[in-house]
Amino acid sequence: MDTLDLARLQFALTAGSHFLFVALTIGLATLVAVVQTWATLTRSPVHERMTRFWGQLYVINYAMGIVTGLVMEFQIGLTWSGLTHFAGNVFGGALAMETLMAFFVESTFLAIWIFGWNRLNRWVHLAALWVVTITAYASAYWILVSNGFLQNPVGYRVVDGVLRLTDASAVLTNPAAVRAFLHILCGSLVVAACFMAGVSAYHLRRRTGEQEFFRKSLRIGVSVTLPAVVATASFGGLQFGLLQPTKLAAYQGDTQLMTRLQAEMTATHGPGDYIPPTGLVMGAAIVMLLVFAVLLFTSIANILLMMVPAAVRRFRLWHVLLTAMIPLPFVSMLAGWVFREVGRQPWVVYGLLTTEQALSDVSPAAVRLSLIAFGALFGVLIVLNTWLLARHARRGPDAVAIGRTSLPAEPAPVIAF
Amino acid sequence: MEILLLAFYAVGYFVLGGADIGVGMLLPYLGRTADERRRVLSTITPLFLGNEVWLVAVAGVLTGAFPLLEGRLLSGLYPVVVALLIGWIVRDVGLWTRGRVDRAAWRAMCDTAVVAGSWTVVLSWGWMFAGFLSGVVDRPLTEPVALLGIPAIVVLFATHGLAFAALRLRGRLRSRARGLSGTSGAGVTFALTSGGMALLCVFAGLRLPLAQSTADPATLALLTPALLVLTPLLVAAQVWMWWMFSRPEPARAPSTVTAPSPHERSEYKP
Repeated sequence: MDTLDLARLQFALTAGSHFLFVALTIGLATLVAVVQTWATLTRSPVHERMTRFWGQLYVINYAMGIVTGLVMEFQIGLTWSGLTHFAGNVFGGALAMETLMAFFVESTFLAIWIFGWNRLNRWVHLAALWVVTITAYASAYWILVSNGFLQNPVGYRVVDGVLRLTDASAVLTNPAAVRAFLHILCGSLVVAACFMAGVSAYHLRRRTGEQEFFRKSLRIGVSVTLPAVVATASFGGLQFGLLQPTKLAAYQGDTQLMTRLQAEMTATHGPGDYIPPTGLVMGAAIVMLLVFAVLLFTSIANILLMMVPAAVRRFRLWHVLLTAMIPLPFVSMLAGWVFREVGRQPWVVYGLLTTEQALSDVSPAAVRLSLIAFGALFGVLIVLNTWLLARHARRGPDAVAIGRTSLPAEPAPVIAF
Repeated sequence: MEILLLAFYAVGYFVLGGADIGVGMLLPYLGRTADERRRVLSTITPLFLGNEVWLVAVAGVLTGAFPLLEGRLLSGLYPVVVALLIGWIVRDVGLWTRGRVDRAAWRAMCDTAVVAGSWTVVLSWGWMFAGFLSGVVDRPLTEPVALLGIPAIVVLFATHGLAFAALRLRGRLRSRARGLSGTSGAGVTFALTSGGMALLCVFAGLRLPLAQSTADPATLALLTPALLVLTPLLVAAQVWMWWMFSRPEPARAPSTVTAPSPHERSEYKP
C-alpha cells in the first residue's frame, strides 16, 4: 500500500471507531436526560435508579468516545495538511467552534454531572446533564458542517489556489450538513434505544430481581426505536437528492452514467479515475438499507408486543431477539458512513481537491507505524468498551457506583473513579 | 488577538493539565501502596477531563485561525504528535477505567497505564518544545540540544505535579509531595511552576511563525468575535468545576471519621 492508502485507512479506522462510540453516546445522553428529568420532577425512586444505571453505562462509553475523539482532532493536520492548507479558511472555523463550543463545554459539564451527584442542587445537577446533551448535539452539528462542506462545497471562492469564505450562512445551512445532522441524530437515538431495550430484555429473560426497573426501561427503548427509525430514514431519504453524481452512479451501478461522468471530469480536471469504488459504495448502501428494513419491521412488532404485559414479563424468545439486535444499528451507522465517505472518492473536497492532493508530506513508514499503533489501540478500546459495558449491564442497578453514597465501612472517603 | 487566544488556551492546558500529568508521572513516588495510589489519583480524576480539553481548544484555535501552521506543525512533527496521542490515550484509559473492575491486578495495570502514558506525554512535549525553543518547528529535533531540553521540561512537569499534589493531599502523602519543594509553601511552588509553564508557552510561541500563518480576514472576522464571546463562558464553567472540587482530600486519620460531614462520607464514582 502507498502512503495515500495507508493514510486513508488510518483515517477510516479512527473515524469509524470514534463513530461507533459517539453514536451510542449522543443517543444515550438524550434518554438519560429525559429519565433524569422525570426523576427530578416526580422524585420517583425507580427513575432515579434508572438515571444512575443508564448514566453509568453512558459514562463508560463516553470515555472511549473522547479518547478516539482526541485522535480525530489531530488527524486532519497529521495526514491531510493539504486540506487545511487549501480549505482551512472555510471549514476550519467549524472545527474550531466544535472544540470550544461543544467538546470543551461538554467535558466540563460532564465532570460536573458525574462528580456533582449529591453535591449539587438536584435541578442544577439535571441542568448540567442537559448542557452535556445539547453540546453533544452541537458537536455533531459542527462536525457535519465541516463534513457537509467537503461533500457539497458552498459559500467560497478560489483565490490564489486556496479557498476564501464568502458566505458563512451558506456554509452553516448547507443542506448536505443539516440533513445529515438530523439523520445522524435520529440514528444515534435508534442505537441507544435498541441498546436500552436489549439490555432490559436480558434482565427480564434472566428474571433478575429488577423486574419493574427493566420493564420500564424496555418500554422506553421499544417506544423510542420506531419513531427514531422512521425519522432516520426520512432524513436519509432527503439526502438522496443531494448525492454527488459520481456517488449516485456508483450506487446505482449505472455504467453508462459512470462513463459519461468520467469523460466529463477528465475534460475539466485532467486525467484520473473519478469514479468511487463501485462495489464498496453499493455494498455499504445495501447493508444500510437492509438493516433499516429489518429494524422497521421488528420495531413495529416490538411496539405491539410491548402492549401485552405478559409478553414483556415472560416472552423469552422475544427477549433473546431484542438483546441480539443491539449490534444492528451500529452496523447500519458504519455502513451509512462508508457509503457517504467512500462514495466521495477520489475527492476530499468534492470537485475541488483530491485526497491525493490533500495528503501530507509524510513517509509511508511513519504512517504504517502509526496505523499499526492506532489500530492496535482502537482494537483494544473496542474490546474493552464492549466488555465493560456488558459487565456493568449484566450486574444491574445495584452494582452502580455513579452517584452512590458509600457505606460507612468504606475505608477512606475519597473522590475516585 | 488570535495569538492571545491561542496563548490563553495553551497556558491554560500547561498549567492545569500539566499538573495532573505531573502527578501521573510521579504516582510510583507519591503512592507506595495500593491505597495511597488510589488517594493520589483521586486528586486528579475529577479534573483531568476538564483539564485536557484546554489542549483540544488549542488544536481547535490552530485549525480555525492558523490553518496553514496547523497542517505544517502536525504533519512536520508527525512521530512526536503520534507518540503524544498514544501516551494521552493510554493514560486516559487508565484513569477512566481504574475503578470499573474491583481487582488488585486490574488497578495495578491501570496505574501502570497512567504512569507510562504520563511519561510518554511529557517526553513528547519535551521533544516538541526542545525543537520549538531551538527554532525547529516543522521536523522532529534530532540535534543533541534535545538532550538538554527534554530533561528540563520533564523536571518542570514533575515539580509542577508535586506542587499540585502537595496542595491537594493530606498527611504523610502531603509531606512526601512537599519533599522536593523545600521550605517554601506548596502554594508558592505551584505559582512558580505555573509561571514556568506559562513562560514555556510564551517562548515557544515567539518561535512559531504565528503572525504569518493566520487565516483569511473574512474567516477571522467571524471566528475571532465568536471565540471572544465563548471564552469567558468556558472559563466560568471551569471555575465552577474547580470550585466544586477545591476542597482538599479529607484526611484518613480515624479521629476525623467520628463525625464526618455527609460530603466526606460519599465516594463518587462514575
